[in-house]
Amino acid sequence: MADTPRPGERVELLEIEDAWLVDPGSGREGQGSLRVEDGRIVALEWAEPEAGGRAVRRGSATGRDVAAADRPAVLVTPALVDIHVHLRQPGREDAETVATGLAAAAHGGFGTVCAMANTTPAIDSGGLVEDELATARASGSVVRLLPYGAVTAGRRGETLAQMGEMADAGAAGFSDDGSPVADASLFRNALAYAGALGRMLVEHPEEPSLTKGAEANEGLVATILGLKGWPAAGEESAVARDLAILAEVVGANPASAAPHLHLTHLSTAGSVELVRRAKAAGLPVTCDVTPHHLALHEGWVAGDRRFAWEAAASPWTGGRTDAAPYDQSTRVNPPLRTPADALALWRGLADGTVDAIATDHAPHTQVDKLVEYGDAANGISGIETALSIVLAGVEAGLLPLADAIRALTTGPVRVLGSAATAAAGRRRAHEPLVPGLVEGALASLVVVDTADTWDVAPATLRSKGKNSPLLGRRLGGRVLATVVEGRFAYADAPEEALAAAPR
Amino acid sequence: MTGLEIGAAATVARAERDGAARGDTARGETAPADGWRHRHLLDVDVLSASDIDLAMRTADEMKEILGRPIPKVPTLRGTQVTILFYEASTRTRVSFEVAAKNLSADVVNIAASSSSVTKGESLVDTIRTIEALGADIIVMRHGRSGAPYLASQVFSGHVLNGGDGWHAHPTQALLDLFTLRERLPGGRVAGRKIVILGDILHSRVARSNIWTLTTMGADVWLCGPATLLRGFERWAEAMPAGRRLTVTTDLRAALRGAHAVMALRLQQERMAGGLLPSLREYSLRYGLTAETLRWARADALVMHPGPMNEGVEIGPEIADFERSVVTDQVANGVAIRMALLYLIAGSGPIEEGGNRG
Repeated sequence: MADTPRPGERVELLEIEDAWLVDPGSGREGQGSLRVEDGRIVALEWAEPEAGGRAVRRGSATGRDVAAADRPAVLVTPALVDIHVHLRQPGREDAETVATGLAAAAHGGFGTVCAMANTTPAIDSGGLVEDELATARASGSVVRLLPYGAVTAGRRGETLAQMGEMADAGAAGFSDDGSPVADASLFRNALAYAGALGRMLVEHPEEPSLTKGAEANEGLVATILGLKGWPAAGEESAVARDLAILAEVVGANPASAAPHLHLTHLSTAGSVELVRRAKAAGLPVTCDVTPHHLALHEGWVAGDRRFAWEAAASPWTGGRTDAAPYDQSTRVNPPLRTPADALALWRGLADGTVDAIATDHAPHTQVDKLVEYGDAANGISGIETALSIVLAGVEAGLLPLADAIRALTTGPVRVLGSAATAAAGRRRAHEPLVPGLVEGALASLVVVDTADTWDVAPATLRSKGKNSPLLGRRLGGRVLATVVEGRFAYADAPEEALAAAPR
Repeated sequence: MTGLEIGAAATVARAERDGAARGDTARGETAPADGWRHRHLLDVDVLSASDIDLAMRTADEMKEILGRPIPKVPTLRGTQVTILFYEASTRTRVSFEVAAKNLSADVVNIAASSSSVTKGESLVDTIRTIEALGADIIVMRHGRSGAPYLASQVFSGHVLNGGDGWHAHPTQALLDLFTLRERLPGGRVAGRKIVILGDILHSRVARSNIWTLTTMGADVWLCGPATLLRGFERWAEAMPAGRRLTVTTDLRAALRGAHAVMALRLQQERMAGGLLPSLREYSLRYGLTAETLRWARADALVMHPGPMNEGVEIGPEIADFERSVVTDQVANGVAIRMALLYLIAGSGPIEEGGNRG
């Protein structure tokens, strides 16, 4: 049996026959085959003729009518883009390093990740942005790292960080994620200043006075378990504040310095509705949701292990269910919400209110997690399970496959906007971040066996963070290979399954 | 053991242990008492009406033993009970200690003065240490909701929750039920209106009583200022048919026709948290006094889990009032704790012990 391609190895020959191809860049989806030679897509054949620029199958323009069972098992899409991860380096290399985080990303099908600045020290100067990029290059991973810079010096929320210097060094945007920019005046200044730099402000919406000491979503589960509640209003009042300030900055900044606000990890139906209205009013706002807020719900804190769409009809109302309560891996900020909130996030994706799915991959050590629930660090190690649980939602009929893939590829690229071009331009300006499935392009793609399963276990997760509520669960959708700019970022044995030619 | 102090009262030396017996109980492979199938007592939500009946009947037997000149039986001879309290407590800790000693268990007291996290040793490490020191049962009180679940996942013996955060206080709820059963006319709880009054939000006593009382068919009312009832209306709405739970801010409506009123302790820090204007205002609007008690039935019982703030949530004239059952609650606490220690870890008849396995 031939060797499994090593990460970083150039794709010499990869032939995928009879796959389901999804190319959100062109809006095309359908059965076809693909051949990569020496890193480039040299042949791309759609099984059925193109009509009006779209794939045609059973009269469908988008493939929506093609039942999952009728699709070929192997799915090929452009490599995924995650605009919200925590890589913990520098400072907490025991929880994750850039190298292990990028390996985890590749295992999850991601070819590009944007790393948050809440490291120790916080990434708040040009030099630190350059260090982060150098660490990524030194890791040997072909997964692209786009760093964010902090909004405020030291993420202390007091004064602005060196934003211009960081933009010049390659920062893709600015965020104090982990915390909101709680001071409204400073938030306004940061938004205005970042607009002039052509960078977005990525805000973690949370009103801290409503969430102090909070342990779980304020609601039935927290009430019964005696956990301090994190109310939906703690997020929604912050979103409303941020949008009001955005409208003010739009009016005040010169047109050439238009601000862009990106709200990350929205978790409630109310937040999505606020963004929906703001977009309708033309405000320059985008947002993302996480896979865990789409698929899990507050019942998981109590031991319910049904996905949100399974629990929606009969939410947990007390007593025990599948697992012990207080599993620390379910502690996350914002907290897991109700099944109804999760369904509202899916609807936001479907109608375009939500631009992207971003994992908020938050690896933690066992030392920081295996403690009393309220003392456990917030966060889920989620970049490796993201695609599988999004595909589970697709299978459950919550979102067409093409829309889900868009939210994992071209959606986040559009959010990054010119910043993405700028940051990517530091490497290879002529190659777009998501080149799409186009003949002649350098291949950046992910190959998934949707008929196969994998077991979420400490040994199968490449991330150092084993803090996943899905541990012990068998998930559908196994990533066979992730290719970035013509090189393998990840490949699973056996090589024959990839049909890659032996060296 | 950073942060831990083995109390002077600790009885570390003990009779030789029957290793095989320990293996049995520790893995929970034996059914220690007929019909009891819970290895730990972490919460009361898992207890069925028949589980609760069994606990009551066992406590009846224990109460009979407590009436003897020498209230001691050999039931848990050779069993080490470690009492691990992360929060200050007098009555519950002493009650457990007396209960364990009445059953001839060896008792180790560990007072962890504050959170294990701030002290450097994790709860998990502490539990492993206690296990290595030979504990068969850990009775645990902790300021964080859910902490006993974590302990139960790393300990091979039995964990008995002595109160965790705002979440649960199983033995308190069971002793409250036991006391109601003793003192209500006809010994019947089903259909009786029981009011829990005060700081419901922060109360593990209230949460556990909601489970046990509604399981036994009582008509449970929660009453207090809106800020201290937050979330409970949703719980009332989610209650399955057959369980009766009503939430109100109106003291008069709550007390009308009540068979028993349980006043909860009001903590000073609720004012600092902006939840209440002042103790005075609380006491005027929600204090249980001779005057407000007139709204209840003439024979209504008055309960309090203690320690009481007389003049705040309960008038001094009520605290030692003839229908106050506060001291019964304390005395019954020992019987209930003996019953639960026996049910989760004992084997064979109560009057025999020691030679387990």
